[in-house]
Amino acid sequence: MLDSKIPSGPIEQKWNNRKFEGKLVNPANRRKHTVIVVGTGLAGASAAATLGEQGYRVKVFTFHESPRRAHSIAAQGGINAAKNYQNDGDSVYRLFYDTIKGGDFRAREANVYRLAEVSVNIIDQCVAQGVPFAREYGGTLTNRSFGGTQVSRTFYAKGQTGQQLLLGAYSSLMRQAGQKAIEIFPRQEMVDVIVVDGKARGIIARNLVTGELTAHTADAVILATGGYGNVFFLSTNAKQSNASACWRAYKRGAYFANPCFTQIHPTCVPVSGDYQSKLTLMSESLRNDGRVWVPLKAGEKRGPNEIPESERDYFLERMYPAFGNLVPRDIASRAAKRMCDENRGVGPTGLSVYMDFRDAIQRLGSATIAEKYGNLFAMYEKITDENPYQVPMRIFPAVHYTMGGLWVDYNLMSSIPGLFVAGEANFSDHGANRLGASALMQGLADGYFVIPYSIANYIGGTSLAPVKNNHEAALGSLAESKARIDALMKAKGGQSVDQLHRKLGKVMWEFCGMARNEAGLKGAISSIQKLKDEFANDVRIPGDEHLNSELEKANRVSDFLELGELMCLDALERKESCGGHFREEMQTPEGEALRDDKNFSHVAAWEFTGKTPKLHKEPLTFENVHLAQRSYK
Amino acid sequence: MMKCKSFLTSSVGQKFLVAITGLGLSGFVLAHMLGNLLMFVGADAYNLYGHKLTSTPLIYVAEVGLIAFFLTHLGLTLKLTRENRTARPLTPEQLPSNPVKKASFASRSMALSGLMVFTFVILHLVTFKFGTYYETEVDGVKMRDLYRLVAEWFQKEWYAGFYLVCMVILFTHLSHGFSAAFQSLGLQSVHNRNIKRLGWAFAVIVGGGFFIQPLYMYLWGAP
Amino acid sequence: MKLHLKIWRQKGPKETGAFKDYTVDNASEHMSFLEMLDFLNTSLVQKGEEAVQFDHDCREGICGSCSLMINGNPHGPETGTATCQLHMRKFNDGDTIVIEPFRAKAFPILRDLCVDRTAFDRIMAAGGFCSINTGNAPEANSILIGKETAEKAMDSAACIGCGACVAACKNASAMLFVSAKVSQMALLPQGDPERGKRVRGMVAQMDQEMFGSCSNTGACEAACPKEIKLENIARLNREMLRATFVE
Repeated sequence: MLDSKIPSGPIEQKWNNRKFEGKLVNPANRRKHTVIVVGTGLAGASAAATLGEQGYRVKVFTFHESPRRAHSIAAQGGINAAKNYQNDGDSVYRLFYDTIKGGDFRAREANVYRLAEVSVNIIDQCVAQGVPFAREYGGTLTNRSFGGTQVSRTFYAKGQTGQQLLLGAYSSLMRQAGQKAIEIFPRQEMVDVIVVDGKARGIIARNLVTGELTAHTADAVILATGGYGNVFFLSTNAKQSNASACWRAYKRGAYFANPCFTQIHPTCVPVSGDYQSKLTLMSESLRNDGRVWVPLKAGEKRGPNEIPESERDYFLERMYPAFGNLVPRDIASRAAKRMCDENRGVGPTGLSVYMDFRDAIQRLGSATIAEKYGNLFAMYEKITDENPYQVPMRIFPAVHYTMGGLWVDYNLMSSIPGLFVAGEANFSDHGANRLGASALMQGLADGYFVIPYSIANYIGGTSLAPVKNNHEAALGSLAESKARIDALMKAKGGQSVDQLHRKLGKVMWEFCGMARNEAGLKGAISSIQKLKDEFANDVRIPGDEHLNSELEKANRVSDFLELGELMCLDALERKESCGGHFREEMQTPEGEALRDDKNFSHVAAWEFTGKTPKLHKEPLTFENVHLAQRSYK
Repeated sequence: MMKCKSFLTSSVGQKFLVAITGLGLSGFVLAHMLGNLLMFVGADAYNLYGHKLTSTPLIYVAEVGLIAFFLTHLGLTLKLTRENRTARPLTPEQLPSNPVKKASFASRSMALSGLMVFTFVILHLVTFKFGTYYETEVDGVKMRDLYRLVAEWFQKEWYAGFYLVCMVILFTHLSHGFSAAFQSLGLQSVHNRNIKRLGWAFAVIVGGGFFIQPLYMYLWGAP
Repeated sequence: MKLHLKIWRQKGPKETGAFKDYTVDNASEHMSFLEMLDFLNTSLVQKGEEAVQFDHDCREGICGSCSLMINGNPHGPETGTATCQLHMRKFNDGDTIVIEPFRAKAFPILRDLCVDRTAFDRIMAAGGFCSINTGNAPEANSILIGKETAEKAMDSAACIGCGACVAACKNASAMLFVSAKVSQMALLPQGDPERGKRVRGMVAQMDQEMFGSCSNTGACEAACPKEIKLENIARLNREMLRATFVE
């Protein structure tokens, strides 16, 4: 049923074999084919630019006013690559191994190996674009360490690595736009996929300025629309990041895989009040020099600088001596939660732990610390009005990334032929937990190096009859989209979209967040069902269809409600703990995640049926790494 | 050639010309100020300097050059200012707000101070260059008695006062213009500390030099 | 906190706009400026009034979506801060706050406080890149770049393209934005082969978009949330000269 189309051969040969076996499209024929790319983050911009360079006609859609605003821009810490420039034992195989292990053995081996393999090309490509990575005095590239690894393989540009990589991809995109190879449609949001004879043949886009709906047809569609962390309302995602493109594709037949795999990032600025609109990440790179601690005594009332060394519990260093403060994110988050559950949390709400730079400042001087993390410290101070050079930062876990996403095969094609999914939007490479600095790597690997081969293979090997934008499937999708918008505009209730969204977020955080259990998830599902009715009856969207943020939000939140329910269902179904998915019923005596490889070593791919979604299982087989209980002790 | 043309039609190229001509004119005002300091030596020295300056045929070349610089500087800045005003629609109502992130007064009012300096220069030429022709004799050579004319004018309180105000405006214009030229020429940032100091020093020297002249003539210039 | 807001409301690009007065009663000093606007919008929506439209996204000061002239200051009174990172603790109880869109001919107002900044994209398309096709890149360490050069390039590259420089400038000049990109590329060896072409193309497009010219006032630098330096503009001017007379 689910064919992952993994190429034959030993793992080191699979990608080469695929590249050689894949169909090609003659350069002169490429301009006859139109490819639609939705989203302009790292994956979307890099895919569009590369396809444009190769000669395809590319149409790029983004709901932002400019491709450069995509949320990849906010990634801080860095990008991994198996360059082994530090001569500390890194290799493609080690990056592959670390990623599989970090993902708690719930990712496909072949995909992850390919990711590690092309990681080295990404760095070359970005440097050639003029990305100003940090360097040594001698002029070579430098690295830092990230969680879940014991080598230094993370490349970075101050605390703005995502920005610099995105601007690199964006510059390539704009170069193609300047040469008319790519047409960009800003402030246009995808609201449906056009499916003709079972194949994706275009999209319906809504112009957010005019409210107009238009059908655009193509030979292939690439979704690079990011993750769905905003289901939780409060997350480190940008305010407008949404799941609608993926959700509409799901409703047209694309399977949604592992929706319950969400990453809770340990180091975020804690929530300070009810008005809060989003959470801000403090880069994982800070854990290189920041030591995480809580007071030994429960209910401690003293300020952090008054607590003597002997009464501090550096709990990550204590529990995981081998990796210390640099354990993977899921582990660090859960440990912080446990401390707060023991009433040892700090700050006005008791829901935070300290990340202290005192020792690093003593060792290296505040100038060095400022050079490394100056912008992060400044950001922290702006938000909290506290100076982290003098007082330890207060941090708490927050929703950050979603490992789940649309199911794709090895070629990144979803279960709808012709519909490709790249970057965070797909489920493919991170299993149940993503390692730090791997999201940027995956986005660019998909966009620069995988999608172009997959598109050629698909277009070269498929007969695609021309489809005009007045095709009945296009008109049907158009009418459905219009009906949806009309229905939203008609509701004349008393609550704003944000109010309803916050309610959903609370349910999700409480019952489908850092720890989950059967009763909670069942309750959450029925709460969400009630919330859906409440939304349909009581939402209020004043104004018209022309540039109306309330309408945009309503359109997205109605999808989040449905997706939230699926996430809970998936979490309920997966009766094991793995990575970011922690079922309280399934844990080791020390409180670590306890996997059940016998019953759950599979990808859970959900099919939309109109009623209860249907579950398909893609078994995961591990031929190269040995399945083991993850240990970072 | 094409490159040169596209450079000169670009905003950057035009600002380049404004800077070059501005620096040229700065050089002129400095020389003019220094020459005028001879009035402190005495009437004869001042008149002799004026005579020597105007009796060489090179003066016509210099004057043509000066006029060309002046008109280029004026014409281009007028054109650019007009374009800049269309580029920036203003807030329709005056509102009670007090911006803190703003540029210096001098830099924001260059067009206005420039126009004032221009008006002054015209009046200045009418008053002195094309003013009453008194004659005097120094070492047996007949020449214009410009000193007398200058002294006459600066004896009038209102004129001396007007002149002083104009010199303050010239100072304002130079205090931004001189250092800004270095930025337009791509040499240094206008915010470079040394350039800023140089710009201020230049404005103080030129503005100050011109400022003390009417004061001196008012107090001690009476025949 | 109680706040009096004067907010620019405008239906569309061709319609005329006007200021409208609003009062926010229970703002918290820990709210960010945009959260204060969210709070206002929620109360408007509950009353069935149209929400104030403003651009925003990451709310971490990096995407460059947020804009707003706050009491005549692009991104508000705090230096080196984007509107989304501005907090209400910087204001006083009872303050009147004037909120306008960024105003420039090249940034037409779409609705209320949202403006169209795609002119920046077109400038980028005219040369803000290194022409390198995917797969064509040499080994990353084959070209050495000194640490200080790389850091200088990074300082220029930190621009978020928000347009505060344009809004701050009395000429609505885009020179700080353009020069930041030109500088980044001019400082790095990767940008060298297209140096002249790049600066000529970007400046020509900037002029065509009807941005004003630079009169070196430095208002842009004062307003820039990423504190991009004026020396970039000097470098752009130099690059332009080089492109004309040396190359």
